[in-house]
Amino acid sequence: MAVDYEAFQRDVTEFAQTRCPPEIRAVVASYRKLSRKVWQPWQQILHAHGWGAPSWPKAFGGTGWDHQQRHIFDEVMAECDCPPQYHHGLRHIGPVIIEFGTAEQQARFLPGILSGDDWWCQGYSEPGAGSDLAALRTAARREGDSYVVDGQKTWTSHAHESDWMYTLVRTSREAKKQQGITLLLIPLNAPGITIRPIRTIDGWHHVNEVFLDNVRVPVANRIGEEGQGWTYGKFLLERERLGGANVAPALKNLSRTRDLIAQELAGEAHRAKREALELRLLLAEAELHGALALGKEAVAAVMEGRPLGLLPSVMKLSTSVSHQHVAEVAMDAVGARLAPRFRRIDGSGPNAEAPGLEWVQNYMYMRVRTIYGGSSEVQKNVIAKQLFGS
Amino acid sequence: MPFTATPLIGGDAFEMAQRLALEADAELSALSEPGEHLAALRRQWDAIVELGWMATLVTEEAGGAGGDLADVAALACGAGRGGLALPLAMCGVVAPALLAAAGARDTLAQLADGTARICVILPDAACDPGTPPLRCGTTLEGGVVAVETPPDPTHLLLATAEGDVLLLPATAPGITRTLSLRIDGRLAADWHFAGVEPHLLARGLAPQIERARDLGALITCVEGVSAMGAIIEQTIAFLADRVQFNAPLASYQALRHRVAEMYVEYENLRGLVAHALRGAASADALPWRDIALAKLRLGEAGRLVAHETIQMHGGMGLTEGVAAIRLARRVMMAEFEFGDRSFQAGRLLARAA
Ligand SMILES: Cc1cc2nc3c(=O)[nH]c(=O)nc-3n(C[C@H](O)[C@H](O)[C@H](O)COP(=O)(O)OP(=O)(O)OC[C@H]3O[C@@H](n4cnc5c(N)ncnc54)[C@H](O)[C@@H]3O)c2cc1C
Repeated sequence: MAVDYEAFQRDVTEFAQTRCPPEIRAVVASYRKLSRKVWQPWQQILHAHGWGAPSWPKAFGGTGWDHQQRHIFDEVMAECDCPPQYHHGLRHIGPVIIEFGTAEQQARFLPGILSGDDWWCQGYSEPGAGSDLAALRTAARREGDSYVVDGQKTWTSHAHESDWMYTLVRTSREAKKQQGITLLLIPLNAPGITIRPIRTIDGWHHVNEVFLDNVRVPVANRIGEEGQGWTYGKFLLERERLGGANVAPALKNLSRTRDLIAQELAGEAHRAKREALELRLLLAEAELHGALALGKEAVAAVMEGRPLGLLPSVMKLSTSVSHQHVAEVAMDAVGARLAPRFRRIDGSGPNAEAPGLEWVQNYMYMRVRTIYGGSSEVQKNVIAKQLFGS
Repeated sequence: MPFTATPLIGGDAFEMAQRLALEADAELSALSEPGEHLAALRRQWDAIVELGWMATLVTEEAGGAGGDLADVAALACGAGRGGLALPLAMCGVVAPALLAAAGARDTLAQLADGTARICVILPDAACDPGTPPLRCGTTLEGGVVAVETPPDPTHLLLATAEGDVLLLPATAPGITRTLSLRIDGRLAADWHFAGVEPHLLARGLAPQIERARDLGALITCVEGVSAMGAIIEQTIAFLADRVQFNAPLASYQALRHRVAEMYVEYENLRGLVAHALRGAASADALPWRDIALAKLRLGEAGRLVAHETIQMHGGMGLTEGVAAIRLARRVMMAEFEFGDRSFQAGRLLARAA
């Protein structure tokens, strides 16, 4: 039966507007960094409505939506200031467990992801393995029914509020370093794990170092075959290639920034500055509309089973920079009065931060857009390789 | 031999300032509590006062060292390489220029010997939208926010758009303040005034106030150029050291070119600032146009260099633990001191004819 996408969009919009609690939308609208405190109740609401997992098949408790529906869902959520769903369980490890996990693993891990009771983080990067992820060295050796894991992960987002870490570990040294990597699911309360916060330039706590000192992990927590972890990691990335197609959050930030400028630089005295910043916003907006159009092309391609080619890399490169440009405009609007009020000295508590400080924090945070998820340089290498045919 | 930046003004004062700034940065970067940070800033401030930095531009008859702009610039060069988190330009240059113009000999002497720690409020100081701006009538009312300040300020030196210069005890009845740390770890205060008695030092000083601001902008440019030179050195060192895909990052041409671009921006700004500094030292009137152009360029070039070093450090670029990244935040902040790009562009365009 053909899907009525317009009716679908209306349903989703009504749900978003009526069911997402105002306090959650306020956090999203104010541009603050999200944490489990905000995400979890929202996931519970979605789950109760049967929309816990838009990208999963029905058999596993998903909605069974097609790509067009998922795209509409994501867009509407962004437009209504609903949080994007926390991705590590739903979009990353969940689909891998569905594809490669045993029935027992599916029964054990998927319900917690769906309900929002279990929180996941990604233990891929290491001090020596960033862009070159296959250089990872955290080692797991087999001892009976367990692996014993030793090493260090870093940049682990949300590890401090997570229950589980899906982790790439080295189980053997092979000639090709992509081989000999295994995917383990590690409970973060296991003895031998130490999580340390990393102080980032945005002033938020979101990334951590995770130290693993002889951590025992049951073999039952291994996904798929030993030594095949790289394949599963790539599967995960393939699934995520449409992630960049959702330009709605960027456009939303842009319109918020436009409001900020109108407010901050009202009046004749600020006209020249206001107009200069508005022009820069317009240039970013034009680029984002290009990305928006490409996103629709990408969704159509997936719906028709056509290959995406370079589209995801193009989208990632251009939207990450647009995000940064918008954040820079905001910084130029408020920097003089807010960049100096980064950390309050006297007094703490809920009102300690200068209202609007998020603009400064976001400007800092947005620098990461061109670094994580495949840095700009790595994306350019991918594009150039294909363009040049070598 | 990899690149080492040549200071705009080298010599003993530069070396000493650099050493002090690097030690101060190491001390601050180990602290996480804002309160501890403030206490450390106070100790560091006392150290530079002890060394006579605040006395540099104060005349000998007022108890100072009778130095010139080049002497402060040498300190700024060294301080800039370590991102010294103290208001050198504001207190070491703008404050004495305003006090001298207003004939406040006693306060100058106190500035020089450290008994006065002066927070300068310039015209166009920021104010939160929807809150009453600072008004000077028979009493002072309203507020200003995000004003750079030395630790434990004893005085407020207030310059108005009309050309008045006022001096107030920072603890005068009706004054309240809120302290924060800026993105570059320096100290800032929000000041609120309710029925505060104004103490007028002098009137009709609008040109002198503008000159003082320009001196501040110039010294900020000197600090900024120094910081950018150090950032480039440290980026090169990082890329030489960091191996990905079995090769040092320094071997990837894409990254080498980006460092080359940073260097071109840096050199261009260095030339401009050196020129403005020479002009300021020799000419009778301050070369405000050169200073405005330099400050405009600092906004552009500084941000480029800051963004590039973050990018090339990868995830490390998002952390406060890396010295180059702390310097990048210093350079980002400099854009908003003594007039941002819009402000400078506005002046340049208005007086182009
Ligand atoms: C805020 C944040 C959150 C993160 N969250 C997670 C997480 O939850 N889980 C996780 O596993 N990881 C996470 N990461 C890590 C992220 O994936 C890495 O930072 C990223 O892969 C880059 O690796 P790196 O930091 O080691 O930089 P490097 O790989 O050392 O790169 C440094 C610079 O060199 C460039 N470069 C590298 N190789 C080349 C080349 N061949 N040619 C040209 N230029 C090159 C890079 O583009 C970059 O500019 C996060 C990072 C950050 C900053």
